[in-house]
Amino acid sequence: MLTIYGANNRMCDGISRRNFIQIGALGMGGLTMPQLLQAEKNSTLGKSGKAIIMIYLPGGPPHQDMYEIKTDAPSEIRGEFSPIKTNVPGIEICEHLPRMAKIMDKLVLVRSLVGAENSHSSYQCMTGRISENRGTPPPGGWPELGSVLSKIKGPTHPAVPAYVNLSHKSKHGEYNFGRNSFLGVAHTPFKPAGDIRYDMTLNGVSLDRLADRRQLLQSFDSFRRDVDGSGLMKGMDSFNEQAFDVLTSSKLLKALDVEQEDPKLRDRYGRGSARPERDAAPMHMDQFLVARRLVEAGVRCVTVSFGYWDWHGKNFWNGRRYIPPFDQGVSALVEDLHQRGLDKDVSVVAWGEFGRTPKINKEGGRDHWPRVSCALLAGGGMRAGQAIGSTNRLGEEPKERPVHVQEVFSTLYHNLGIDANKTHIKDLADRPHYLVDGYNPIPEVT
Amino acid sequence: MLFSRSTLLRVAGMVLVPLTVFAGESTLQPDTAPDGNQLKKLTIETIHLNSENPDKGFVLHGRESRLQLLVTGLMDNGKLADYTRQVKYQSVPAGLIKIDENGYITPFLNGVVKIIVKGPNGLESKTKLDIRDTTKSRRINFTNQIVPIFTKLGCNSGGCHGKASGQNGFRLSLLGFEPKEDFEHLVIEGKGRRLSPAAPDQSLLLLKAAGIVPHGGGSRIDHDSPTFELLSRWIKQGMPFGKIGDPKVTKIIVSPTHRLMSQKQKQQLAVTAIYTDGSTKDVTRLVQYESNEKEMAEVSKTGLVELGKTAGQVAVMIRFQDQVTVFRATIPHGAPIEKKLIVKNFIDELVQKTLKTLELSSSQPCDDATFVRRASIDITGRLPTPTETKNFLENSDPKKREKWIHSLLESPGYSDYFANKWNAILRNKRRTNNSMRGNFLLHSWIRQSFQENKSYDLFAKEIITASGDIARTPAVTWFREVKNQEDQVQDVAQIFLGVRLQCAQCHHHPFEKWSQQDYYGFAAFFSQMGRKPGSQTGEEIIFHQPGIPAAINPKTKLPVRATGLGTGVIDIPPDQDPRVSLADWMAQKDNPFFARMLVNRYWKHFLGRGLVEPEDDMRITNPPTNPELLDALAKHFIDNGYDLKNLIYTICESQTYQRSSLPNKYNSKDSQTFSRYYAKRLTAEVLLDAIDQVTNVNTIFPGQPEGIRAVQLPDDSFNSDSYFLSLFGRPNNDSASESERTNDANLAQSLHLINSPMIYKKISNPKGRAVVLANDKSLTDEEKVRELYSWVYSRQPDNNELKVFLDYIDFKRRSSDKTTTLQDQVRIGYQDTLWALINSKEFLFNH
Repeated sequence: MLTIYGANNRMCDGISRRNFIQIGALGMGGLTMPQLLQAEKNSTLGKSGKAIIMIYLPGGPPHQDMYEIKTDAPSEIRGEFSPIKTNVPGIEICEHLPRMAKIMDKLVLVRSLVGAENSHSSYQCMTGRISENRGTPPPGGWPELGSVLSKIKGPTHPAVPAYVNLSHKSKHGEYNFGRNSFLGVAHTPFKPAGDIRYDMTLNGVSLDRLADRRQLLQSFDSFRRDVDGSGLMKGMDSFNEQAFDVLTSSKLLKALDVEQEDPKLRDRYGRGSARPERDAAPMHMDQFLVARRLVEAGVRCVTVSFGYWDWHGKNFWNGRRYIPPFDQGVSALVEDLHQRGLDKDVSVVAWGEFGRTPKINKEGGRDHWPRVSCALLAGGGMRAGQAIGSTNRLGEEPKERPVHVQEVFSTLYHNLGIDANKTHIKDLADRPHYLVDGYNPIPEVT
Repeated sequence: MLFSRSTLLRVAGMVLVPLTVFAGESTLQPDTAPDGNQLKKLTIETIHLNSENPDKGFVLHGRESRLQLLVTGLMDNGKLADYTRQVKYQSVPAGLIKIDENGYITPFLNGVVKIIVKGPNGLESKTKLDIRDTTKSRRINFTNQIVPIFTKLGCNSGGCHGKASGQNGFRLSLLGFEPKEDFEHLVIEGKGRRLSPAAPDQSLLLLKAAGIVPHGGGSRIDHDSPTFELLSRWIKQGMPFGKIGDPKVTKIIVSPTHRLMSQKQKQQLAVTAIYTDGSTKDVTRLVQYESNEKEMAEVSKTGLVELGKTAGQVAVMIRFQDQVTVFRATIPHGAPIEKKLIVKNFIDELVQKTLKTLELSSSQPCDDATFVRRASIDITGRLPTPTETKNFLENSDPKKREKWIHSLLESPGYSDYFANKWNAILRNKRRTNNSMRGNFLLHSWIRQSFQENKSYDLFAKEIITASGDIARTPAVTWFREVKNQEDQVQDVAQIFLGVRLQCAQCHHHPFEKWSQQDYYGFAAFFSQMGRKPGSQTGEEIIFHQPGIPAAINPKTKLPVRATGLGTGVIDIPPDQDPRVSLADWMAQKDNPFFARMLVNRYWKHFLGRGLVEPEDDMRITNPPTNPELLDALAKHFIDNGYDLKNLIYTICESQTYQRSSLPNKYNSKDSQTFSRYYAKRLTAEVLLDAIDQVTNVNTIFPGQPEGIRAVQLPDDSFNSDSYFLSLFGRPNNDSASESERTNDANLAQSLHLINSPMIYKKISNPKGRAVVLANDKSLTDEEKVRELYSWVYSRQPDNNELKVFLDYIDFKRRSSDKTTTLQDQVRIGYQDTLWALINSKEFLFNH
């Protein structure tokens, strides 16, 4: 067995650089000292706090083929899909969303979403703000919802990142998210499908050898931590501890491991595959299940990218292909959350960057239509079983109750107990920014 | 305990008067108790400036006027302390005024009143007050009297009605910077529904403010408060705005401006506003107070500063209308000070002065091994080689440290490292493939500027005035990212002057005196810039368009001529590029910003913390922790012709820079006063290069020559390819702010250093240092470990450390079995050793 050595503890005036570290006392940690303290305050071991699961639909789903079939429009606008009744009288949705129809009482549809910036990018769905393509974000860029939560609330537990991004890298760069922002790399999401995945399984060493290395490090890395007044060294020590945990066995790894779930439940979600659809995202319903596991482990925000929705051609052929798995995955997730009693605490939002053109083009597809789009909400203690707003006869623009993108953000923050109009974060020039620009939570649901 | 027993013995002969001097009155408990020192004298201080003859006393006009007295005690050790709340006040004749226990005076009737102040030890002080015009009812001036109420109560803060979108349909200008607009919103908007002159107390404004009807902001004032009464009176008067000739505030003064205090001590502040007609007014309870370090000091609405338990320096910002000022408190640490300290140059003298005032003891000088590594990292961004280390450690030349600094400055590493630093500040960003030529040229030009030690004023001038084609003037590339007037104003002001002017674009700067007029006056320097397509796609040529430089202020819609910050209009003939005038103004010897900004930036680079923090946010309300040192460094820099190498040398040769980072018993809490070196983690590029050097396996950067170091990379594009660089916070060159580089820790970084394929490959590479050493039969284990230590730490291991590693390698040797050979095991031992060294804090930090 390896013996651990260290210098004797000499408390003389700056003579010895080496002291023993107390292993384990450094188990609680955060990023900077303030967050270290924040995580300690927040520590709800094993319990899920309030959380958000955001499902990004890259390419922008056709609002008129999802939640509000334009039955009164001429056929070149209405298209091929028919509406079906849901379990909420008065609300009808696309025939290819039958499972959602059965649980409409647990869902909120926003049918007249406005404010889209008209960029083929996840930026606005993730940050609620206009990107560089159309506006001038502050230097460093606006932070995504998860990054904001990471900053203002910190992790619920030191071993569990506040923001996890499950998406894989899309070929179309602008679909990708988990961006850095003016809040810094400390608040970028933990991305198991990113480069870090290579670091999460042992590379070239066995578990035993890792254990030997760990002991060796601990036996001599006694460099005095009080040399660093900022607390960074202590923070790094605690992240080291967590890293070893991840590599050996951990809360986080377990949460990510979908194999631990009942196969029947996985089937209910639909499993899916990790293979990306065209230049967008895979239809990987297992990720919704993992998202649920992650929020149970204490992650505050999980983001997933799902499917391919940029149907410039063969709109209805594509719809028949991409809508049903979405229907299956999301309905399973919402039901699962309700069954586990998580529906009050966990909010779900599913949306894309814009809607699609009313007039079907000559390839049988629809093109980009930022004037109006749609969103699906669930959980978060919201008053469900509603369809908010509607578009005009041809589905061109809101007929009543336009809902701005930032109202959705305001609502999500509200569900987490944050007043988005009173909370602020500072950018690189120390200028404070509120989380939204004066938009209130949607009164119909809160 | 005010007086300890030993103090009583020491001050034999002094008569101690117990504090219960005045019969029938309650005992005054002093809450300021300078350690064991005796009160010698009491002075009443007020800061009304219209009294030249103290015998005549001060004059207060009108029933609205107020006065905050300050009673200052002079202790027998020469220190001053606040006794404002430790004295008893008497006014004769009674009834003319009211003085509360905080020394705050409210006048009632006309007349001359004598004020007597009685303190401990039988000490007294007197003053006179002349009260006039209490029966006159003066027309209330909206700007001077009503608007400050909204600031004080927080109504017009950025969190409520002051934000651009207002709150619940009611908008006020941010912090009251636009009184005319506020008048519109309050009086005219909404058909005047907010105010009822016929029944003032029923006005919606007052009902909301007092919380009588539901108000999102709650109850901000009491129904029976003087503020409520003033607002009501203003409404009753018919909501006068004020006449054009009415006096305006030109300045505010706080008393005291600076005080040496003890932990948990309190200090009352008194603030006076000076008006255009020369009149003065006490505004102590009308101004907004904000401490810049809430843990160190809190300040109440009445201007009472209360210190916490932390020693150091703290500033309280005071804001009234569009004026700001600052109060500074210095709280000594109370440690014994060394009698004899090494002083190498003026830096040490001035740092030691502050250390003395703050009663901080400094750590020992660092040893040679620490110095050789620290200077090498700070000047060239790389670790010294074992040969360099050995030569240095064995050298007995008393001037070896100075010589080492010089040799680092003359090495190519210096130009590389500082080009890397300025590359990010100058936003050298690769956006498309077309921008590549500009990126490389700019980087190269920056590097060349440092190589030839171009003077800083010339460097700045060449950037700001860059014109023509990128190929001939690489600095033109800077204007590619700094595209529009907004960017130019903000970047130039922030980078070269340390002024964050951006806030003033839309409104008066909340923390400084800069107005929108100042912003557009500065913007005018860039108003004559023309662009046309350059010789290659995606490039532009910058040229000067003749004309009188001016920028339009969107509020007034009028053009503003070019002004430097705080100067008058600078006359620029129409055929001269106004940017040249800007550069000339910046480089003038009396320019208060240019040199200070650079020396502060470089001070932070070497010492870990600017004399002003953040380093590019220099304003009155953010004072330097050592103003004399900042001034002296700036002067030295200017006097030496803005010589950057000389500046670096001066900083690095100082004893201050060469202190150990290890805290002693007393200074571990110090993070502002440089009583020790503040350790900092190696930045992304430096860390990657260090790992490469230590493992002897270079990282390959696509499209770059083999062996290139990360600090030599010409732009930010390598961040997207290199997980390591972006993970460890290398900036994307998106802003002029060095704080874009993040030095936070996270889980992914730890995972990467502990277990990434990259680390694995470097450590197990057959040509890498670990394996080569392991296979080397000519060296003993001890020699090998010593060599690794030299590479990683620039020092030798001590006996305990040696034992740890030698034991480990033996342990691995003993574990060889059927599956692994002895030689394999030895290789594993050395790989694990190198792995552990790389993951240790001593390696990861510059200490």
